[in-house]
Amino acid sequence: MGPRWRYLFNEVLIGLRRNLLMTLATVVTVTVSLALLGAGLLVQRQVDKAQDTLYSEVEVSIFLLDGISEEQLASLEGDLRANPVVADVLFESKQQAYENFLEIFASDENLINAVTPEVLPASYRVKLTDPEQFTVIASQFDTYPGVDQIIDQREILERFFRIMNALRNGAIAVALLQLVAAAALISNTIRVTAYARREQTGIMKLVGATNWYIRLPFVLEGIVAGVVGAVTAGLLLLLGEATLVSRLKTEVAFIPFINAGDVMSTIPILILIGAGIASAASFAALRRFLAV
Amino acid sequence: MIRLDNVTKTYKQTVVALSDISMEIVKGEFVFLVGPSGSGKSTFIKLLLKDEEPDRGEIFVAGKRLARLKSWRVPALRRELGCVFQDFKLLDNKTVYENVAFALEVIGKPQPTIQRTVPEVLDLVGLAHKTAAYPHELSGGEQQRVSIARAFVNRPRILLCDEPTGNLDPTTSVGIMKLLDRINRTGTTVVMATHDQHIVDSMRRRVIELQDGAMVRDQNRGMYGYGA
Repeated sequence: MGPRWRYLFNEVLIGLRRNLLMTLATVVTVTVSLALLGAGLLVQRQVDKAQDTLYSEVEVSIFLLDGISEEQLASLEGDLRANPVVADVLFESKQQAYENFLEIFASDENLINAVTPEVLPASYRVKLTDPEQFTVIASQFDTYPGVDQIIDQREILERFFRIMNALRNGAIAVALLQLVAAAALISNTIRVTAYARREQTGIMKLVGATNWYIRLPFVLEGIVAGVVGAVTAGLLLLLGEATLVSRLKTEVAFIPFINAGDVMSTIPILILIGAGIASAASFAALRRFLAV
Repeated sequence: MIRLDNVTKTYKQTVVALSDISMEIVKGEFVFLVGPSGSGKSTFIKLLLKDEEPDRGEIFVAGKRLARLKSWRVPALRRELGCVFQDFKLLDNKTVYENVAFALEVIGKPQPTIQRTVPEVLDLVGLAHKTAAYPHELSGGEQQRVSIARAFVNRPRILLCDEPTGNLDPTTSVGIMKLLDRINRTGTTVVMATHDQHIVDSMRRRVIELQDGAMVRDQNRGMYGYGA
């Protein structure tokens, strides 16, 4: 290690140690803000991942009135199959609906006891070539005799995605606020360090050290705090993935979830943001203080 | 080496620190800058370091026109100027050797050069035997010698001294003046602000006297006061 690097390393270490509590506060703030930001990014990624699978499974349900006649049924099914946006048509009788119901709510005995095959409507499950084409189906078949109501499962999904997006936006908004606080803390920490070392920097200026050389240890000190915060945030997210998401994964098997790899790939983004904000905050703090 | 053309410096638009100063100091000169406190001596030194900017006039130091000097070239200017202050400005947590080496480290000198030149300059100032001591273990005179060693270790062309004997007793001061004289004999230009009458009178060098920011005297082989 050359003297220059040893000097830098020592200065940064001294600076961080001199103000341990302040450094701790800074790191914690950076951690919280970046963890939130990372969570926001991961929610987004989760939505992206689930969206494709869920949309491809989406069906349109055409619920039928109990009194529907055989002819009405036949003409409905014939017109459905003839429609170009329809990919597949499946008839679900009252009995089949009941069996599906039993399967889905197998754990809820009260519910099962309350329901008989009579109360569940028969339906057509229609798969579309393009899930966006729901309105075509709805407008065509809504007026058919014997049709009770037509439900687009996509609407339910969209409600779900709206909630996810709101969550993401909330997380990112709080994260941004926290980042402002983190920047202020870093700036303040650096100012304190610079003040504590004003004698030394004064001498450095006097003997002709360059601005860069004088500023580097302070900026690095800020960056170290930023990066440590970012890495801690990344570890927290990994922990969250390993506990929370993994449990969800076993309970909700039909959609793909984000995995550790997705978390790992957001960590560099967090580090970049942490380091960027820290160096910007450090420079802002030093601009006045160490001007030649 | 140093030239001022009609230099005026005021603080906050009202306090006149220097007014219309013109002078030239050539290479190898030893110049005393005298005058009471607040007469503008420290401002003069700050202007030469480009620590302050003049309101009017031009300043040339070591062949550089300061008004035209870009801020990123200021470090290069300061490497040509050594500075010694009344309060020594040593770092308490560094030894004598480290204090002097520090001045070279922070301008990126390689370690072999540092290891060669620092003992040399400590020998020159007579502190070869105290390299491992800390500033608080030294007398005032010794501390000032360390500070001179630090100012001189990079062989600057000009040595600026702001009241270097201000905190020292007369006997110690004589030793410091002998050292500055020796450094001057190596061809280094020395500018020393002082109000130590005894020293000025005994050295008999060029004297520039400031009063309320104005230059009232420039005299070769001068004394502190006219009548003295």
